[in-house]
This record gives sequence, structure tokens and C-alpha cells, in this order.
Amino acid sequence: MQARRFLQAEEAVMRHWLSSALWFCAPFAVLLVLWAVLIPYFEVNPRLFPHLESVVQAGLDGIKDGTLVRHIGASLMRVTVGTVLALVFAIPLGIAMGVSPAVSSFLTPPFRFFSVLAGIAWIPVASLWFGYGFGAITFVIFNAVFFIVTYNTLLGVSTIPLQVRNAAASLGAGRWAMLTEVLLPGALPNIVTGIRTGLGFAWRGLIAAEMIATNVGLGYMLFVARDFYKTEVIVLGMIVIGVLWLLLDRLLLAPIERATSERWGLVQRA
Amino acid sequence: MTTLLLRAWSRYLRLTTHWPSIGTIVPFIPLIVAWWLVTELQVFPRVFLPGPAEVVRSFGALVYTGVLPEYLQDSIVRLAVGSFWGIVLGIPLGILVGLSQRAHKALWPVLLFFQAIGDIAWLPILVIWFGYGLTTMTVVIVYTVIFPVVLNTVLGVRSIPITMHRAALSLGASRTRMLWEVVLPGALPNVMTGLRNGLGYGWRALIATEIIVGTSGIGFLMFDARRAGSVVEILLGMIILGTLWYIVDSWILAPIERATGQRWGLVTK
Repeated sequence: MQARRFLQAEEAVMRHWLSSALWFCAPFAVLLVLWAVLIPYFEVNPRLFPHLESVVQAGLDGIKDGTLVRHIGASLMRVTVGTVLALVFAIPLGIAMGVSPAVSSFLTPPFRFFSVLAGIAWIPVASLWFGYGFGAITFVIFNAVFFIVTYNTLLGVSTIPLQVRNAAASLGAGRWAMLTEVLLPGALPNIVTGIRTGLGFAWRGLIAAEMIATNVGLGYMLFVARDFYKTEVIVLGMIVIGVLWLLLDRLLLAPIERATSERWGLVQRA
Repeated sequence: MTTLLLRAWSRYLRLTTHWPSIGTIVPFIPLIVAWWLVTELQVFPRVFLPGPAEVVRSFGALVYTGVLPEYLQDSIVRLAVGSFWGIVLGIPLGILVGLSQRAHKALWPVLLFFQAIGDIAWLPILVIWFGYGLTTMTVVIVYTVIFPVVLNTVLGVRSIPITMHRAALSLGASRTRMLWEVVLPGALPNVMTGLRNGLGYGWRALIATEIIVGTSGIGFLMFDARRAGSVVEILLGMIILGTLWYIVDSWILAPIERATGQRWGLVTK
């Protein structure tokens, strides 16, 4: 009896999920139909806007000869390396600085300054220091993520109420227990928010940097296609960029952010 | 020794509570000193990392020749025009999507997707459509500003408790009064947050656009310097960008956001 009710509930959840997924996709279906009908109908010059078929064709070609996969791989690789490097440095540094209120209030303005500069503004100097290629782009991504995450970690640690830290200390928490059971969990919602914002800037910075300073990657693909007026490749690239970021943000970052703020943050599950 | 340091520290703290702006300037002093030391000791070659003095000198030279004020003005005008249109189009659209269930169902996924494409990815095709020039830049900035504004306005409108709507309706509020006295004030804190984010993104998009398709502006200044291999002017450009945005953000936008949040939002004094 109980098991059946559970199954029914499960089914209802599934159905709800399915219908909201369908509703999410419906507007795109309308847009695609409009695209397929209107562009040939008004005889738009394919140099201005491509036909749906030619974009699909460009996508298939890119997958078949491996160029599209290589560009996507290069872009994702750079984002991953830059982000992981930044997190490895940013989180410990942010916690170390946030522990003391004096230090954190002193260091907040410089970190705000540098997180303002995050990403794109570093492209010219990065390309001079590291030359065109992997180094410069990874540096830009590292910068976009590093300063914002450090700043947010610092903010997160410094907003942990002092009573909580005092309580833990008076209950005999050592340094390690303090770090893993008070400071890290307390700052985690802020850290995750920082990662999400930082990655948003990093993704844009990546596309811009690839337009300027490399010979492989999605941004480069777009920029080269422009030289030959290959609008179908440009539109394909834009769709790929949009879909990738949507997947990354909605399926990975947003759920993590929601989960951490429900688990450790101020939001209570209803 | 320690008492002396402590006394100096407490003096500093007292000073910063009186004049908070000192607290934002002083922390940069050690940073600049460290920069100066690194360049004096020649840790990196001078060509790669010039010192503060050289940057100040190039600032003077560029101001004297009038290049810098002109570029700065170009950048700010572009940002202002783009943001203006972004706000004018974004807030009504956000209110529409927030109020109407049907518009929400039809437009929300599309909005999310087009936001995900990102401003800079539009550059190549915009260049094909409009060429190099002001139109391309304005479109990119409007595009960048509009999404955070719309998405946050929608969130704000939808976060107004339904009881508020019902209370106003049962007290006989007309449609316009609902809009002016319930929906807009209720959504205002979120709209302000969206505006602040949007301008932040718009500022970065402007720089990227100027770097890639620009013929003037701070971004162009940096890219031109990069072509000539002059790190001094790149660093100068970065410092100007950072300082300008820091001032706009922390002295204008953040206080407005805080004020509306306190007045209409959930934060109580």
C-alpha cells in the first residue's frame, strides 16, 4: 500500500517534470518554425541571415569532420583549467583573510577593485605577457574567477556570526574542526554564488579572448566565419555557446547554489 | 612596539568610521608600494611590468594631448546611451512577463536562452549587419543591459505576495494604480539589483566591443597600446576602468540599491 502510494507520488513528480520540460521547449519550437518559414519566404540574403537547413548542415559537417568538436573541446578545456586553478587558490585565501575582521575589512576594497576588472580588461595585457594561445586565455579565466570567488569567500566568512565561532571554540573545537565544520559550511553559500558569477564573467571573457588571441575555440570559430561571411557558422556557434552555458548554469551551477543555500544558508525549505 | 602598532591601528579604525572613504583608499597604498618595489628591484623586465611612476607620467601625457578625455567621454556616452535603451525596454518587458502567466510561459525560456548566448557572441554577426561603428556597440550594450534588468524585474514582480494584489483590488484599485502603487514599488528592489548587474555586464561588454571593433574609447586605447606593445598604457587603461567603475558602483549604484531595499524591500533597518 505504502509502496504503491510512493510510486504514484513518484509518477506525479515525473509527469510534472516532463510537462514543465515540454513547456520550456515549446517556445523554441515556435521560433524554429518561424525561422524555417519566414527566412525563405522573404528571400533574406544568406549573407545576412542563414537558412535553418544550412545551419543544421554546418552543424553536421562540423561534427563529421571533427572541427566543431575540437573547438568546443578547446573552449571547455580552457574554462575547466582556469576555473579549477582559480578555486584552488581563491577559497583558502578567502577563508584565511576572512577569519580576522580587521584584515577582511582592510582588504575588501582592493579585492572589489580587481573583481571589477575581472575578465575582459585583462585580455590585452595577458596576450602581451603570455603570447597568443592557451596561457593568455587561461589567465583571463583564472582572473575572472579568482577575484570574485576570493571576495565572496571573504564576505561569506566575515558574515558568520561571531557567537557561532565562539560557541564552537568554547566547545573545544580545534583549528581543523573550526575550519571544516564552521568556516567552510558557513561561507559555502557565498562561495557558490561567487563561483556562479565568476563563471558567468569567465565564459564571456573566454569568447572575447578567443576572438582576439588564439586559433582554436568557439570564439575563434565565430570570428573567422565573419571574415568569410559564413553566417550559418556564426549562428551555429551562437547556438552552441548559448546551449552550453544554459546547460552549465541551469543543470550544474544553479542546483548546487540552491542546494547549498537550502542546506547551510538562510533559506529554509518550506 | 606592539602597543604602538595597536594604537596606530585603533587611530586608523576611528578615522575610517568618521570618513569611510579613507578606508577605501588606504588599503591601496601598500599595493602600490609593493608594485613600485617589484618594478624597482626589476623582478620582471621593465618592458613587461612598468612602474607606477611611468603609468602616472603616461596619464599626464595622454590627458595633455587630449586623447584620454576624449576616449573616456566616448566610452561613457556609449554606455549611457546603451543603458538608457536597455532600461526603457527592459523594465516594461519585465513587468509584462512577470504579470502575465501566458507571457511568462512563452517568453521566459527564450529570455534565458538569449541571455545565455551572451553579448560578445553577437559581435561577429552584428558587424556583418551594421558594420564597425556606433550602432553595433549600442546594440551590444542594450543587449547586455536588458537581460539582467528583465530577469530581475520578473523575479521582483512575481515575488510580490498575492495577498497584496488582492488587498489592493478589493479596495478598488484601478489597473494603473495597481501598476504604480503595488507592482512597481514591490518590484523596485529587484529592478535596482538587475540594473546594477546589468550596468556591470554592460561596462565589460563595452570594453570587449571597443577592443574588438572599436575606433575610440578606453578599450580601444588598451588594444592600440597592445598592438604597439606598450604595457604602460594598457595598465593605465585598466586602472582607469577599475577606478571609474568602482566609483560608480560603490558610490552611486550600491547606495541606491540599499536605499530602495530598505524602503520597499525585505531588509528592515
